[in-house]
Amino acid sequence: MIKVTKVNKVFNQGKINETVALKDISFEVKDGELAILKGPSGSGKSTILSIIAALLKPTSGDVEVDGKKIAKLPDNFASLYRRENIGFIFQKFNLIPTLSVFENVILPLIPSNLSKQEIEQKAKQSMEKFSIYHKKDDLAKNLSGGEQQRVAIARALVNNPKIILADEPTANLDAKLSSSFLEFVKELHSEKKTILIATHDPIFFGLDFVSSEIEIIKGVMK
Amino acid sequence: MFNLFLFEYALSSLKRRGAKNIFIFVIFFILIFLLSSIFFISNSMKYELSQTVDALPDITIQKLEAGREQNIDIDRVDKLSEIPGVSEVSPRVWGYYYFKNAGANFVVVGVDRFSPNYKKSIQKVVDKFDSVIFDNNDTMIVGKGVKDILEKNYYDKYFNFIKPNGDLKKIKIAGTFKGSTVLESNDIILLSNENAREIFGMKDDEVTDITLRVPNPKEVSKIASKITIMYPDCRVITKNDLEISYNNIFDYKSGIFLSLFIVALFTFFIIIYDKSSGLSSDEKREIGVQKAVGWRIGDILLQKFYEAGILSGMAFVLSITFSIFYVYILNAPILRSVFTGYSILKPAFKLPFVVDLQTIMLIFFATVPLYIAATIVPSWFAATLDADEVIR
Repeated sequence: MIKVTKVNKVFNQGKINETVALKDISFEVKDGELAILKGPSGSGKSTILSIIAALLKPTSGDVEVDGKKIAKLPDNFASLYRRENIGFIFQKFNLIPTLSVFENVILPLIPSNLSKQEIEQKAKQSMEKFSIYHKKDDLAKNLSGGEQQRVAIARALVNNPKIILADEPTANLDAKLSSSFLEFVKELHSEKKTILIATHDPIFFGLDFVSSEIEIIKGVMK
Repeated sequence: MFNLFLFEYALSSLKRRGAKNIFIFVIFFILIFLLSSIFFISNSMKYELSQTVDALPDITIQKLEAGREQNIDIDRVDKLSEIPGVSEVSPRVWGYYYFKNAGANFVVVGVDRFSPNYKKSIQKVVDKFDSVIFDNNDTMIVGKGVKDILEKNYYDKYFNFIKPNGDLKKIKIAGTFKGSTVLESNDIILLSNENAREIFGMKDDEVTDITLRVPNPKEVSKIASKITIMYPDCRVITKNDLEISYNNIFDYKSGIFLSLFIVALFTFFIIIYDKSSGLSSDEKREIGVQKAVGWRIGDILLQKFYEAGILSGMAFVLSITFSIFYVYILNAPILRSVFTGYSILKPAFKLPFVVDLQTIMLIFFATVPLYIAATIVPSWFAATLDADEVIR
C-alpha cells in the first residue's frame, strides 16, 4: 500500500526563485488498486510520483510503501527500494537512445548480479509481453514513439515490481497507441499490480476499473 | 563478486562513445609510448655506460691553461708514481682527427705498446685481430664506425693520416673493436703513443693527459687532493666524477626529449581537464536513468571504473609492449639518435635489455590512476544528485 501523508515540496527553498510544488498532499492507494492522479500540466503530479519512487525527497511529510517510510531514505537504500519495488514509466520514456532495445530492458537487472540466463529470460519475457522482442537488437533511437513506449514499459516491468508508476504515459502517443496502452494497464491491473498514473489525458477518466481519481491543481489536492 | 553484465555494459558504453574514446586512446598510447621509450633508451644507455665506467682509470689528470686543456710534460709521471697508493701511472696521447672525405671526427687514442697487459687486453675487445700486423710499428685498432667509413673510402687495409706539416702517415689496420663495445669504441682509433704524437705534431716529452690506477677506492679522493696540491695547474678527475658526468649527459639528453614530450602531455591534460570539468548532458542523463531504474552510486562508479580502467589499461599495456618492441627489437630508430652523441659516425650498437619494474610502475602511476580519477570524480558528482533532477 502507498500512503502519502501531508507531503510538501518546495523547490529552491529560501531563494528568490522559490516554488511551492506540493502543499499538504495526502492520499492512499491500496495493494492491487489502480489510481489516477489528474490535473493540468505543472500541477505537481510528476513531483508526487518522483517522491513516491524516492527519486526526490519531500520538504516535509511522509510517504510509506508497505509500511516502510521511504521519504528520507539514504541514496543507496532509495536505489535498492526502486530496484525491488518500483516500475517507473517516464513521460519521455527516458530510454538510452544509443543502447539496443535488449540493453535498455535489462538496465534495471544489471546491478542485481543475476546469472546471464536469468537476465536474458526475464528480458525476453518482458519484451515478448509487450510485443517488442522482434526489435531487440534495434537501437532505441531508431524506434517509433509507440515502440519506445513499449520498451519503456518492458524495462519498468522486467523486475516484476509490485508498484507501477506512470508519468503522463500517453502524452507522446496518438489515439490508437493510447488505447493500446490502456489495454496494457488493464492487463497489469488484472495481475494485481498497484498502479498510479499521473495524467491529464481524459482517456483515463471515469474508467470502471480505476479505484480512485486524485485531482491536484497548483500543488493542492482538490 | 564480479558482475559480467556490468563489465559488458562498460564495454558497450566505450563503444557507444567510440570516436571520443579512440581519440583518448591514441593520445594515451602516444604519451605512454614516448615516455616509456625515453626511459628504456636512457636506462639502457646508462647501463651500457656503467659497464664502461668500471673500466675507466681511477684518476685522470689534465693540465689547464686559461681554462683550456694543454699537453702535460711527461716527467710528471715519475713524481705521480711515487705517491703512496698509486699502482700504475699511464701517460696518454689522444685527440680528434678530422677526416674530410667523410666529414667525420675520429677519436685517436695513443697507448703504450710496451705496457705489460696491453696486448692481452686488446685481444679481449677486438675482432679480426691480426697479431702479426699488430706486432709491427704503425698499426692501429679501429672502431666499427671508423672501419665502415674507411672502407667506403677504399682504405680497407690501412689509412693515410695527414700530419700538421702536410706529410702523410700510413697506418695499417690490425683489428676492429667488438660490436658489444660499439657505444664507446665506434669512432675510436687506437694506436701507439709515438704514432699519435706524430699525427698530432706533439713533442716527444708531452702527453695529452695522465691516468692513475688506485687499487683501494677509499684512497682515491685523498690521492686526488694530494695531486691538486702538487700540481695546481691541473684538473684532477676521479672515476666517480666521470660517472656523474656521463649520467648527467644522459639525464640532460632525456630532458631535451622530455621537453618535446610535454606537447603530448599537454594534450593529455586537456583530456583530463575535459573529463574532470564535467560530463556531457547525455552522460548525466544516462546516470540519471541508471539511478531511476535502481542503480546505486557504487554500481555507477564501478561501471565508470571499468570503462576508464579498460581504456587506460589497454593503452598502457599496448604502449609498453610496443615501446619494448621499438626500443629492444627495432633498436629505437629516430629516438636513439637524440641520445647517441654528436659524432657523425652513428654507433650501430644494440641497446641492452634493461627494463626495470620501478620505471614501469612510475609511468603507470603517473597516467592510469590519474585518468581513472578524472573519469570517476565527475560521475560521482552526477550520481549523488537526485535522479529526478538529472533526468529533468
